[in-house]
Amino acid sequence: MTPQTGREKRGFWDRLLLVDRRWLYVVIWLVVMVPMLFPFDIKPEAMPPVRKLFEYIDSMPEDKSLVISVDYTPDTRPELHPMAIAALRHGFATKRRVGVLCLNTVMSLGLAEGALRQVSEEFNSRATTREDSIINGEDYVFWGWSYPIITVLLGMGERITRVFPVDYYGHRTESLPIMASLKNYDDMGIVVCIAGSSIPLSWVNYAHTQFGCQIGCGITAVSAADFYPYLNSGQFTGMLAGMKGAAEYEELVSEKMVELGYEWDLPRKGTEAMSSQTAAHLAIMAFLIIGNIAFFITRRRKQ
Amino acid sequence: MKRRIPLILVLVLGIFAAIAFVVPHPSVRGVDDVMRNDVLRIIGAFSLVLGVGSIIRHHYMKIKRKAEHWPYSWVTLSTLVVSAILGLFGGIDPNAPGVLFRAGGVGQFLSNFHMQTLYDNIMVPLAATMFALLAFFMASAAYRAFRARNLEATLLLVAAFVLMLGAVPLGRMLIKPLPAFAEWILTVPNTAAKRGIMFGVGLGTIATSLKIILGIERGWLGGGGS
Repeated sequence: MTPQTGREKRGFWDRLLLVDRRWLYVVIWLVVMVPMLFPFDIKPEAMPPVRKLFEYIDSMPEDKSLVISVDYTPDTRPELHPMAIAALRHGFATKRRVGVLCLNTVMSLGLAEGALRQVSEEFNSRATTREDSIINGEDYVFWGWSYPIITVLLGMGERITRVFPVDYYGHRTESLPIMASLKNYDDMGIVVCIAGSSIPLSWVNYAHTQFGCQIGCGITAVSAADFYPYLNSGQFTGMLAGMKGAAEYEELVSEKMVELGYEWDLPRKGTEAMSSQTAAHLAIMAFLIIGNIAFFITRRRKQ
Repeated sequence: MKRRIPLILVLVLGIFAAIAFVVPHPSVRGVDDVMRNDVLRIIGAFSLVLGVGSIIRHHYMKIKRKAEHWPYSWVTLSTLVVSAILGLFGGIDPNAPGVLFRAGGVGQFLSNFHMQTLYDNIMVPLAATMFALLAFFMASAAYRAFRARNLEATLLLVAAFVLMLGAVPLGRMLIKPLPAFAEWILTVPNTAAKRGIMFGVGLGTIATSLKIILGIERGWLGGGGS
């Protein structure tokens, strides 16, 4: 029997099972790229963990600050950066004082700085009065990064200015007006830790357990399963999981901003990316179905 | 003596750290405060110096010996030097350049290569590209390896299906309660399994910590457990 005959004998399902993986890569590339260029209309509906976080931030006392711990790196940016942007918009739109820090790694500093710059410019470019403006050191503070984690987490329970003597831009934190009303965990309404790692658990272990600080988290979809036990026990006030969580939170923040009179058409990267995510999920599900059908048919033939 | 001193330090400080976590007495808190805010930071700073020294030494030796992939060591060392110079002297605010860029001429030209610019244009695309490759491997694995061979694999497959469909708006359009069902899978069966694993991990961590504090486990001293 010649090899040619052997190839001829191979059936449709056999060939499908042995398809070159590069074809699969092409399909994935297309299903991610095409909806990115031509997105379809999606209106996310917030699930309970997202709604809880949003409502907590929205209803916390006016004198309490929103603290955002930016602990993701560029690799998880598409999923997590929209959460940070939406959280900053939520904080600024509701006139909260906002504190931002990076706990996990210096790699996050550039992302946090970028998010702060973008959102403060969104507000300042449309501001007509001082009340509408967002000013560094008065309305928000970017503490930067410090080390080691345990020192930062426990030290912030006593005095933040001791943990961060200077902010990211080199200003003495003692001299910043915002720090007069943001001394330690007592002044924080909630800490939202947005991370691509297990760092939100460190916030739970130290800030929540020892100081009773409320913690919310924004995490990647792939790691969401690890955080549900903490959500169920109430150690996390709420949770944003993956692109879907980001899109749902963006929707709630957008509705809130319209309610407050900020009728701006701001970009919502999480919602925009949901088109690609939907198409990619469907493609992977199709792969699963086709792969399994081909597997069972070829196995039966062999038997 | 070389081994005994570290062992005594770990024993004393390990027990103290555990006590300080649960005893709020001012004297304990005071010492704990110094340990955490001063001593730990000094050790952290030393470890940073040690880390940088170690990476320089490692790559220098690779280049010197022309070890496998040695040209990449040049890339590591040069990026270390460039990013350190930019970070130390280039400033961090694009609107307020550091000492390196304040002068005119070359300094002005170089100010385009600010730390944030470098980060946005090199670090972000590189890291995002690495992570994006995961989508292709996942698709390939879904097609070739994820098979309903037995009951456990079938359950896993069905759960994955529900979660993937529940995570996109189409799932809600097809079956309205699907996202809620996906949420239930994560909240109830997943949490039950995770809690069991977490208890096991927690107990294991306590046992290992005790072994290190009491000097039974000595692998961290180097040279194995002997």
